[in-house]
Amino acid sequence: MSIEAKNISKTFGSFTALNDVSIQFPSGKLVALLGPSGSGKTTLLRIIAGLEVADKGSVYFEGEHATERSAKDRRVGFVFQHYALFRHMSVFENVAFGLNVKPRETRPSKEEIHERVMKLLKLVQLDWLADRRPSQLSGGQRQRVALARALAVEPKVLLLDEPFGALDAKVRKELRRWLRRLHDEIHVTSIFVTHDVDEALEVADEIVVMNAGRIEQIGTPDRVYEHPANSFVYHFLGNVNLFHTRIHDGQAHFANQTFDVQADSGAALVHARPHDIELSREETGGGWMRACIRYVHAIGPLVRIELIQADNQQIIEAELSRERYAEQRFATGEMVSVRPRQVKVFPAGPAAGDYSI
Amino acid sequence: MAGTISHFHKPPERKQISVGEPRAVRWLLIAIALLFLGLVLVVPLVAVFTEALRKGWVAYGQALIEPDALSAIRLTLIAASIAVPLNLIFGLSASWAITKFQFRGKNLLLTLIDLPFAVSPVISGLIYVLMFGMQGWLGPWLQEHDIKIVFAVPGIVLATLFVTFPFVARELIPLMQAQGSDEEESAIVLGASGWQTFRKVTLPNIKWGLLYGIILCNARAMGEFGAVSVVSGHIRGLTNTMPLHVEILYNEYNFVAAFAVASLLALLALLTLVLKNIVEWQTNRNLHSEPLIEPPENRP
Repeated sequence: MSIEAKNISKTFGSFTALNDVSIQFPSGKLVALLGPSGSGKTTLLRIIAGLEVADKGSVYFEGEHATERSAKDRRVGFVFQHYALFRHMSVFENVAFGLNVKPRETRPSKEEIHERVMKLLKLVQLDWLADRRPSQLSGGQRQRVALARALAVEPKVLLLDEPFGALDAKVRKELRRWLRRLHDEIHVTSIFVTHDVDEALEVADEIVVMNAGRIEQIGTPDRVYEHPANSFVYHFLGNVNLFHTRIHDGQAHFANQTFDVQADSGAALVHARPHDIELSREETGGGWMRACIRYVHAIGPLVRIELIQADNQQIIEAELSRERYAEQRFATGEMVSVRPRQVKVFPAGPAAGDYSI
Repeated sequence: MAGTISHFHKPPERKQISVGEPRAVRWLLIAIALLFLGLVLVVPLVAVFTEALRKGWVAYGQALIEPDALSAIRLTLIAASIAVPLNLIFGLSASWAITKFQFRGKNLLLTLIDLPFAVSPVISGLIYVLMFGMQGWLGPWLQEHDIKIVFAVPGIVLATLFVTFPFVARELIPLMQAQGSDEEESAIVLGASGWQTFRKVTLPNIKWGLLYGIILCNARAMGEFGAVSVVSGHIRGLTNTMPLHVEILYNEYNFVAAFAVASLLALLALLTLVLKNIVEWQTNRNLHSEPLIEPPENRP
C-alpha cells in the first residue's frame, strides 16, 4: 500500500518537530527515514501510525484520506525501539494478541490463530520459544517477536521505530540483514527510522534524509551517497574534508577544476571524503596541495592519515587501503602532495557544516 | 495512622566496609531501635489484647456482640465498602490521566491528590460540617429537602472518602510512570479497543500495585478517627464507627469492651501488614523475574 503525507507540521511546545513535510512512500518498498536525533523522523512515523496527531497536514493510505482514522483502525504494524512486548504474556500470546482482540465476527478460530502464530514464529525463527516470557529472551529475540506480533494482523504497512537501536553492534548487523531478507519475502510496504547511516545504506530501497523537521533529500542509497543534495546530507553520510573557495558568476574554482554552483557569488565549500584524498611524494602543481603528515593511524582495514596543509594550516584527513599504505610507507613529519580525487561543491550557507556528530 | 507510603523497591543489601562501625556502636544502635520498637509498639499491642481478655473470653465475646458494638462494626464496614471502591475508581482514573495524557493543570491535580496527607484529619471533617452542617453553606437547602449529611452516615462516608483518596493514586502513579505507555500503544496499533487495552495490558501490569493501594486504603478507611469524629455526632448505635465506639467505651471506664473492640482494629492492622508483605513479595518477584544477565543470542 502506498502512503502519502501532505504538508505535515507538528510542534511540541516551542520545539518544531516537523515543518511542512510532504512525502510519498511507494508501495512494497523498504524505506529508511534517516536523520540525527531531533530531526522529526520518529514523529513522522508516529503520525503515519496514528499514535501522534499532526498539527497541520494530512495522511493518505492508498490515496484514501486517513488523517481522521484512529491508530486502531489504520491496520499498520508498528515495531518499537524497546520492543514493547506484553511482559505478562508468553511469546505465543504476544503474537496472538492482535488476532485475539478482533471482534467476534472477524476473529479467526482458535485453531487458525494457533496455526498462524506458529507460522509467524517459524518465519522469525523463534517457534521453539513460544512458551517463554519476553523477559527470558535476548534483545534480538525480543525484537523478532515484536516483528512477528506486528505481522500477525496482516498489516498493509510495517512501521519500525529504530528497531535495532537497543541492540549491540553484532546482533544489530545480523538482524538488519535478516529484515532485508524478510522484506524480500513478504513485500509489505515498510518504513523504518534510523540514525545509523550504514544501516540505512545497507538495508533500504530508498532513503529519506531528514534534518530539523524537514526533508533534505530522497533517493536510493546509491543516489544519496554519490550525489548528496546539500552540505548537510554530505556531512551526515560520512567524514568530510572541507576546502574554502569563492563563487564567481555561478562557478567555483578549486584544484584546477571548475564547478557549477547554485549561487551567483559568495563563499563556497568544497567537500571531499577522506577515502578520495590522494597522497603523492612526486607530484607538484596542477591542483596538488602541499601538506605535512602529522599522524598515521594504522589499525583496522584502513590506514587513517592526518595532514596539515602547508599554506593555511588546515587539517586534512585521508584514508588509504592497507596495500596502498604498504607500497608508500608514509611517515609522520613527511611533506607530501595532496589532491582530492572527487569533490562536491556547495555554497557556504548557514546550514553548511552546522551538524556535528 | 500516618499517611506515609512505603516504597516497593528496596535497595540491594550490600556490606559497606567503609562505614563499618565498631561492634559496640552497632549493638548500641540495634538495641536502641529494638527498645524503642518494644516500648512504643509491642507493649501497647500486647496490652490491648491482655486488657481485652482480662475477664476471659466470654466477656470478650459479649463486648463484641453487644448491639452498639455490632452497629459500629457494621457502620465501619459500610463506610469502607463505599469509600474503597470509589477511591479505586478515582485512583485509577487520576493515575491514568496523569501518566498517559498531557493536559493543563496536571501539576495542580498531583498536588491536590496529596492534600489529605497534608491537612489534619480534624480539619477535613470540619470542612464537611461547614459545608453541609446546619449553619453551613448548603445546610438550609439540605434541611428544606430533609437530607441529612452531617451527623449521619453520608457524612461519615464523605469524611472517610476524603482522608483515603490519595492511597490508590499515590501507589499507581509512580508504577505507571515507570512502565510508560509503549505497551498500551502497541496494543492499540494491533487493533485493541480502549477497554481491551486496559483489561488485557494495563491491568495485569499494575495489579499488584493496585492491590497494595487498596489494602492501605482499606486499613485507613476502617481506622480513621479524626475526620469521622467531627462529622459523626457520636450517636450510639447510629453514627459510631469502631474507633469512635472504642473512645466512648473507654470514656465510660468500660475497659474490657473498649479493648475488645480495639483488638479487632489491631487484628485488622496485623492482617493488613501480612497482606502488604505478601503483595510486596509478589511485586518483587515480578520485578526480579527479569534476568540480570541476558541469555546468549541464539543465532537464527
